[in-house]
Amino acid sequence: MIQFDHVTKRYGERLALDDVSWSMDEGECVSVLGHSAAGKTTLLKLITHEVQPTTGTVRVGTFTGGRLSRTTRALLRRTIGVVYEDFRLLADRSVFENVALAVRISGHFADSEVVPRTLHALQEVGLHDEQAKLPQELSFGQRQRCAIARAIVNRPAVILADEPTGALEPRSASEVLALLLRIHREGAALLVGTTRPEVAEALPGRRFELEEGRLRETGTSRGSLAPLGGGLAGGR
Amino acid sequence: MQVFFLREAWRSLNAHRGLAMTAIVSLTAALTLCGVFLLLSFNADRTMRAVGDRREMVLYLRDEVSDAEVQALQQRLHDLYGTTTFVSRAQAWEEFSEQIGDPDLLEAVDTNPLPASVRLKLKPELMGYAETEKVARSVREFPEVEDVRYGAEWVQRLDAITEGLKRIALVLGLVVALAIVLVLHNTLRLTVLARRPQVEIMSRLGARDGFIATPFVIEGFMVTVFAALVSLAIVAGLHQVVAMRVSGLVFLPPVWMLAFVGGAGVLAWAAGSIAVTRVLRAVGP
Repeated sequence: MIQFDHVTKRYGERLALDDVSWSMDEGECVSVLGHSAAGKTTLLKLITHEVQPTTGTVRVGTFTGGRLSRTTRALLRRTIGVVYEDFRLLADRSVFENVALAVRISGHFADSEVVPRTLHALQEVGLHDEQAKLPQELSFGQRQRCAIARAIVNRPAVILADEPTGALEPRSASEVLALLLRIHREGAALLVGTTRPEVAEALPGRRFELEEGRLRETGTSRGSLAPLGGGLAGGR
Repeated sequence: MQVFFLREAWRSLNAHRGLAMTAIVSLTAALTLCGVFLLLSFNADRTMRAVGDRREMVLYLRDEVSDAEVQALQQRLHDLYGTTTFVSRAQAWEEFSEQIGDPDLLEAVDTNPLPASVRLKLKPELMGYAETEKVARSVREFPEVEDVRYGAEWVQRLDAITEGLKRIALVLGLVVALAIVLVLHNTLRLTVLARRPQVEIMSRLGARDGFIATPFVIEGFMVTVFAALVSLAIVAGLHQVVAMRVSGLVFLPPVWMLAFVGGAGVLAWAAGSIAVTRVLRAVGP
């Protein structure tokens, strides 16, 4: 589903990724652990074609390498759900409108389907009752759940989460991870980049570590939310 | 989806009222200038047409031409060039007498020296200077015709004035079109940049350029159409003031008003689409 083939990425003199080769299958859960500026965000941006590799190729589904046209790039991004550390919600729109925007952008659904789909996604993340609020009226944990609702509302095949618990206190972090895991169990592939070992530990599946731009597989985790202290592994 | 885009455009307008107001004022100024000239141009054109309608060519006939030949000539002229009126020698003398008015002067003339003539009112497509000149050359060759007069210099001058007005209208139209393009380009560029986080988020969610651009283009269209309506109102007010002092000045007919507003709107849509697409290429991640 996602394949990196000898990918190197430089920002001027700085080496962000150094000859990285790895792949991820459909429905798989992968965590990438690394300190700040280790290259995690670059790895995710390469998948969404926000940046281009300096050398090597990145394949995502049927989208293979090179500089994609803006239309193809948009199409690729509509097949992926992305969750950011800083949520990236539109401050002047309600929770409902933020999630509904993703449905409209997908272009797959008629106007009459936008409302039920959005409400269903909000129901899934437990924000049904907060739908009229603006993002700044929510707690950080709720904001991240809103971002997750936006990421899953079109049922993408893969969800990328860039430090999804970075801004959250332990209980909210646990809730967010539990939510991501539930979505993964329903069939979506999940790739999480994090600086926190306990988050990587909480996710089932292969674990990678990024250090000075080099990626290495460090093992497989069974996944447990216990170290986070939330105790909500079974769901919300 | 159309309602969604309209709502987005309205939201953007509300969020950037200052920018929208600046654009409206600039566009209104440019469009008012255009509207005033359009009004002048329309009235000038109308006057020129009225004057042009009175253009006549006079064909002086040879003395020996018979009535039958005159009738045949009139028929030929009618078929080829326009409507004709025959003026006999007696009628010509009568008209001349009325113009002179002094009986002593008229009595000094023994016999009527004036020739019979045919007045030819040309078809509209033959009223230009070049065409009129061509007709004059042709009819001068007719055996019944002694001489042709039509005020060549006057026709040429009238044509030059009409042509000059058309050129000024074209140049002014282009200048206003350029002003609309520049004002919209800058306004929409600033609006997109002000909403850069929104544009980036939408781009990351996989929005096509067209999806992101449409509300901005609608916003530019709404601003321009509003400015066009305001400028029409200003031009109408100016017309009212001037019409009290200058008689015969008429306002633009509804079709012209519609074309004015519609033209500005179409230009705004085209300019807005190009501007936003260009800005998005520079802004989107």
